[in-house]
Amino acid sequence: MAERETTVGPEEGIHGRPAAQFVKAAKGFSSQIVIVKGDREVNAKSVLKITGLARKGEKVTIRAEGKDAEEAVETLAELVSADEP
Amino acid sequence: MKLVKLTGIGASEGVAVGPAFVPATGWPEPERYRIKEDEIEAELQRFRDAAEAVTGKLSETADELRRSGHEEEAGIFEFHAEMAEDPELASAVEERIRSLESPEAAVLAVGEEYAAQFAEMDDEYLASRADDVRDVTGQISAELIGLGASGFGALKTPSVVLAHSLAPSETARIPKGMALGFVTAEGSRTSHVSIMARSMGIPAVVGVGEVLEDALDARKVAIDGGEGTAITDPDDDTVAGFERMSAELAEERAALDEYRYIEAKTSEGRRIEVAANLGSASEAVDALEWGAEGVGLFRTEFLFMERDDLPSEDEQYRAYSAVASAFGEKPVIIRTLDVGGDKDLPGVDQGHEENPFLGWRGIRMSLDTPDLFKRQLRAILRAAAHGNLKVMFPMVADVGELRAAKAMLQESRRELEGEGTRIGEVETGVMIETPAAAVCAAELAKESAFFSIGTNDLVQYTLAADRGNERLRRLQNADHPAVLILIRQTCEAASAAGIPVGVCGEAAGEPEMIPKLVALGVTELSMGAPSIPRAKKVVSGL
Repeated sequence: MAERETTVGPEEGIHGRPAAQFVKAAKGFSSQIVIVKGDREVNAKSVLKITGLARKGEKVTIRAEGKDAEEAVETLAELVSADEP
Repeated sequence: MKLVKLTGIGASEGVAVGPAFVPATGWPEPERYRIKEDEIEAELQRFRDAAEAVTGKLSETADELRRSGHEEEAGIFEFHAEMAEDPELASAVEERIRSLESPEAAVLAVGEEYAAQFAEMDDEYLASRADDVRDVTGQISAELIGLGASGFGALKTPSVVLAHSLAPSETARIPKGMALGFVTAEGSRTSHVSIMARSMGIPAVVGVGEVLEDALDARKVAIDGGEGTAITDPDDDTVAGFERMSAELAEERAALDEYRYIEAKTSEGRRIEVAANLGSASEAVDALEWGAEGVGLFRTEFLFMERDDLPSEDEQYRAYSAVASAFGEKPVIIRTLDVGGDKDLPGVDQGHEENPFLGWRGIRMSLDTPDLFKRQLRAILRAAAHGNLKVMFPMVADVGELRAAKAMLQESRRELEGEGTRIGEVETGVMIETPAAAVCAAELAKESAFFSIGTNDLVQYTLAADRGNERLRRLQNADHPAVLILIRQTCEAASAAGIPVGVCGEAAGEPEMIPKLVALGVTELSMGAPSIPRAKKVVSGL
């Protein structure tokens, strides 16, 4: 299992186009991936679940379990924190 | 049947007459809510196939839009495609199917659950995602019921489309060549439907208002997208008149075709650049097709209109980069925000103004709202890394304002450099639209890289004649000695300082004004894109 904490970068938070791009990237990994914010834990491969999960500047944790967990966590944490994906 | 004249905003030029078509609104209701135990497996498969089919169509539309340069719209469809193949949506629907709900009812119910969640969030932008979810689950349900995924399934002959409003998912599903024109109750020049009409090259009249409801039973419609009028169930004379206009327009366009991509020069060899005025990035591809050699005026107001919050730096950055990359090395002049008391800006207390056109607007407002202004300048500097952007300040009345604006641009540049963000070079220029700027042109020219004369406002301010007042038509005219003297003075000042001077008002596209402007020393003309070939022809004949 791998996990990393990061801060949401896009001005609008996670939804719309940034959310679609994030999910697309997440689906590229075979690991099970979740985003955790506070006590909520959602499937990172579901655009409906991650929409509205967090706003700019809020902290979230990406957690993955599987063969490519390390790489998934690294790539996705970077994507979440970028100003524009 | 009755002849009704509808008046709205002419959002896309052209003339057409054809049968009326009103798309079915909303999504079809499922006829069947329950299934039997032994149907579960087959129904699960039907749901998966339908979701896959809708995802495929949405992704295809996104790709098509991206290829034609409509980056913003492509992003919406990409988001919709992701929703259609969402694993959590699928498992919730499949669970309902296993408890004997019909797939078409199940997908609508799950969509409604998510929509309700989004609608509850205390964020306007997020709340509007509720409609996105309903749009997508409605399409999957319609696919299952077998009615095709839109109200346009029944459109079989080329027709004029009448609708309250048209969503991107609807216009994208219109069979090719079947729409002769659009008439909508809602909308503005920058609405999605207007942009689509311009890129499809068909006429559109938008914002005609609720009177459209009375015209929905019309059999035939004649539409004039230039004038912004549509006539339902026209009589034979009207039809004949429209058909004649349509033929003339087609002939005129064909005759001008050879001038589209030329570099216009006068007989003495003076090169006059002919550029386009744009209201949004989605118009870029069309403008290039009309032969634009750049963008002489990119209005940024559209980003700020028809919404209840302010656009973020990133959103602006995306819009400016889209137009910058579409034009490549060709210059694109971005005008910073020019709104005043006649339009509301969320979060900015503009107060009531007796004379908004003489009020707190353009650079005056920008300098007083540095956070808002710098957000825009930062977006422009970042977007400049993707093309040849220039920035122009509106409503400048003296050199002090220009200096203050340039200082803010410099400050934004330093901030971005400090943050290690990639930026590009931008030249700064002044929009000459107050008589004061024209009179002080020599002084302004020393600190500007270019001028662009906004004749619409220059005329209104010089002749003290409101642009919107019908009775003052006589004075709404750039061909007035006072205005021509100010233009000449501006050109002389620019020439002495060695900087180019453009015109970006209506006058720049008028065949009778072009010879005068060129004679006064104007070096660039910028206009609505469809006028470009004609302007190049006029210049070539000088």
